[in-house]
Amino acid sequence: MTNNYINSPLDQFIINNLLEINSPFLNLSTLNFSTFSLYTLFVVLVISLTFILSIGGESNNLVKGSNWLIAIEAIFDTILNMVKGQIGGSVYGRYVPLVYTLFTFILVANLIGMVPYNFALSASLIYIIGISVSLWIGLTILGLFLNKAVFFSLFVPSGTPLPLVPVLVLIELLSYTARAISLGLRLAANTLSGHLLMSILGNLVKNLMSINYFTFIFGLIPLAGIFAIVILEFAIACIQAYVFAILTSSYLKDSIYLH
Amino acid sequence: MQLVLAAKYIGAAIATIGLTGAGIGIAIVFAALINGTSRNPSLRNTLFPFAILGFALSEATGLFCLMISFLLLYGV
Repeated sequence: MTNNYINSPLDQFIINNLLEINSPFLNLSTLNFSTFSLYTLFVVLVISLTFILSIGGESNNLVKGSNWLIAIEAIFDTILNMVKGQIGGSVYGRYVPLVYTLFTFILVANLIGMVPYNFALSASLIYIIGISVSLWIGLTILGLFLNKAVFFSLFVPSGTPLPLVPVLVLIELLSYTARAISLGLRLAANTLSGHLLMSILGNLVKNLMSINYFTFIFGLIPLAGIFAIVILEFAIACIQAYVFAILTSSYLKDSIYLH
Repeated sequence: MQLVLAAKYIGAAIATIGLTGAGIGIAIVFAALINGTSRNPSLRNTLFPFAILGFALSEATGLFCLMISFLLLYGV
């Protein structure tokens, strides 16, 4: 007998292969078109669609743009002000496109994941931690490129007594290295546990409400609570994208200006 | 085998203790926001994004515990 319903709440994160590429000589499994690739495509499509819609419909509207442009402008203004506040100085403008791209991608991926029965892209730990580790490597290379050997002064806080320096360098090095993991783990763990929580609570209430008429009426009370949690998850989806962007720009500031 | 199962459930339950810290952290963040706003109400718009950032950062630490607990229950 086969089960058509979801057994474990973790089943929602399973990645299925939609198109497989096989070869007798090489392992080409990274070229498979999976659920993951499909949802990456969705995210790119949604972002492109908002940009296409922002071009005005009429021919003389190309400069002014349509109402959709307001959404893009609002997000861009938020990111610009955030990067300006975090990095400051005269070079912050170079890093706005990077932070803007990260923010838009994570925001759209989170919001697509919140649609019921959809795959949450940012719950894949390996993918999000991959992004954060590659960002961290890039930031370290940027810091070494801009500041040469002075970059290592990042590991010694100013005004440290000399005997404490070896210990503090170790601690600072550890905390600097932990950024690579913690940046991505924060986002992925939030999405993962949020989706698990909603799935578990939803299944519990579904079991309660399907017993008899009394529990069906009674179950509306916890159902209202679950709706509140869903709203909270929507807020967390936006806040976590913002936090990822703000932490990236804060780490950029560390690489550029060293403290 | 039953002993392993029991240990799994006990471990999952113990992992939720870490949520105490996250709860205290979120409370401190919002208490500081209320404190700051009542001292200088004109700074409310400046303080609110920092409070939300602090909320998200301290909430994430609690969710790490919750994630460990879920992984113990369903993943292992």
